[in-house]
Amino acid sequence: MELNPCLKHKVLRKSVREFAEGVLGPIAAEIDHQARFPWEVVQAMRPLQYFGIQAPPDLGGAGLDTISYAIVIEELSRVSAGVGLCVSVHNSVALYPLLRFGTPEQIARLAPELISGQRIGAFCLTEANAGSDAGGVETMATRQGQDYLLSGTKIFVTNGGVCGLALMFAVTDPGAKGRAASVLMVEKERPGFAVGEIEELAGMRCNPVSSIFLEDCRVPAANLLGRPGDGLKIGLTALDTGRLGIAAQALGIAQAALEAGLKYAKERQQFGRAIAEFQTIQNYLADMATEVEAGRLLLYRACALKDAAKNFGTQAAMAKLFCSRTAREVTNLAVQIHGGCGYSKEYEVERLYRDAKVTEIYEGTSEIQRLVIARGLLSQPTAGRAV
Amino acid sequence: MHIVVCLKQVPMVSELPWDPRTGRLMRGQAEGMMNPACKHALEAALRLKEEHGGSLTALCMGPPEAEEVLREALALGADEAVLLCDPRLAGADTLATSHTLARAIQAVAPDFDLALLGCTTTDSETGQVGPQLAEELDLPAAFNVEHLELTGRALTVRRVYDGFLETLEMDLPALLTITTQEFAPRETPLGGLERAFAQASVRVMDAEAIGASLDRVGDKGSAGRMLRVYSPTAQKKCVLLTGAVKKSVQELFERYGDRLGGLIGQDLASEEEGHDQ
Repeated sequence: MELNPCLKHKVLRKSVREFAEGVLGPIAAEIDHQARFPWEVVQAMRPLQYFGIQAPPDLGGAGLDTISYAIVIEELSRVSAGVGLCVSVHNSVALYPLLRFGTPEQIARLAPELISGQRIGAFCLTEANAGSDAGGVETMATRQGQDYLLSGTKIFVTNGGVCGLALMFAVTDPGAKGRAASVLMVEKERPGFAVGEIEELAGMRCNPVSSIFLEDCRVPAANLLGRPGDGLKIGLTALDTGRLGIAAQALGIAQAALEAGLKYAKERQQFGRAIAEFQTIQNYLADMATEVEAGRLLLYRACALKDAAKNFGTQAAMAKLFCSRTAREVTNLAVQIHGGCGYSKEYEVERLYRDAKVTEIYEGTSEIQRLVIARGLLSQPTAGRAV
Repeated sequence: MHIVVCLKQVPMVSELPWDPRTGRLMRGQAEGMMNPACKHALEAALRLKEEHGGSLTALCMGPPEAEEVLREALALGADEAVLLCDPRLAGADTLATSHTLARAIQAVAPDFDLALLGCTTTDSETGQVGPQLAEELDLPAAFNVEHLELTGRALTVRRVYDGFLETLEMDLPALLTITTQEFAPRETPLGGLERAFAQASVRVMDAEAIGASLDRVGDKGSAGRMLRVYSPTAQKKCVLLTGAVKKSVQELFERYGDRLGGLIGQDLASEEEGHDQ
């Protein structure tokens, strides 16, 4: 089973797997049980450029292509999805929009600390009344001289408890049609920026997902990303890339579940033989492996389109939709193969099962992915044709 | 300073399938990896380079797939990578291998100061290539080295040999083989991987290019002949003790008391007697 488009990707996968299994493997269950963010792993990842996977080398990044990025997230998530999530969100929806839309001054000032991992990035769109409906953002950014004053509450912020720089979606012109939103980059030490309680979530428990409160938080206009009113455009661009990361994460979870299911099916004896000898279990394993393979190809194709500077939004949504569903189904079957043991925290599949579900929810629910795909199909004359 | 480190790609035994009929490893299906001791030798070379400057050449003899370990070495910080790849080099025993490596080192790094190798490889475990290569190159050498220090051109090395800790001194140029005790390999930086593929290249050389005489390399140049390779299989046999519990327990300790005692660190026989009284 060759998982890698070329030798670079093969060597990369091996290296990341060795790192993930060696450094993250021994603590993956513990950080989930205790809901502990593993700073020691962050420290180990910093010099290895996990916080600047695709950032240019002259800024300290690794300068890798998008398939490599997907492989890194997949391999980290195969061992600890919560850590994969941290790295994915940081790279794709915090650092990437800054590099893509930032001015040279902003990049020089803010990117190096993100790329080195001194600051972990976060993306703050979701609010109590805004999620799938990005236009419903109520956080306000009021211009005051050279600054903006930010007020509002963001919820379910991935990396919220540990972020050093947050991309904040806020309304800058409430009078405009569609209440024009903009993106402000907010450093955590700015007065008025406060992290709420860490959420008690079903999965991804080592990632400190939290609310963020903004109370007259003063941010210089120099931290505005793009132009006023560019919020939706920046957000959607970031999410296209983010979806590749979440698809990769879901794929890593599914891969781990497939491996765990295979191992257990060969070990577990019932009726005098390994349960892998029963056709029902074989059918489960066959379906799991097929879904994982298909998801991987879909994801790599979307990544390759991005690397070729082609439109990849529709394919990214397809990859996210398919891989997240695959993760949910494959972890479900892996638990089923494990029987009662699969429902116990003693076995890895219990965690994988919990971690998988949210991939169908965050960075655009499956329902929104279908909307994006349909919009792509119906708006482009050549869409839907085989190319 | 110019360091040459010789690397070998070995099959990843943990993922190696077995032929259940013959009990042999199916090497054709094996994933390759850098031999563990070679990884430690590479790490020793990288640390020397960081401390003393200079350049590092990674050298590997193997099939085209062995390019992988050289790319890994480049990603970690090797400056140059050379793959000795030629069907005529295949089937080499340790003698032919060391002859080939010696010619290659003289061809690609005639100015080298230090050659480093792993002490043994996990696929053959002979530990002979290092010593034979030192003979071929006529160099002072030390094997199974755990610690080394370089002052000017003087090398001080430490190794455990026959249960004794030895400290040896030698002048450069020299050859060392490194154990897996020290020099824990570093993790691969992602940017290093990108550079290893985008900027660096692997130079592929054949027998002529390194000036090796064809009757000294590969299967033809090998003095040793492999008669048979097999995996020792442990024989498992179930023993059923029958009769009353007391009798069975007694028999259990009579037969296996030494092993059971060893497991929990006690002399069980004497305790058993104690209970009887």
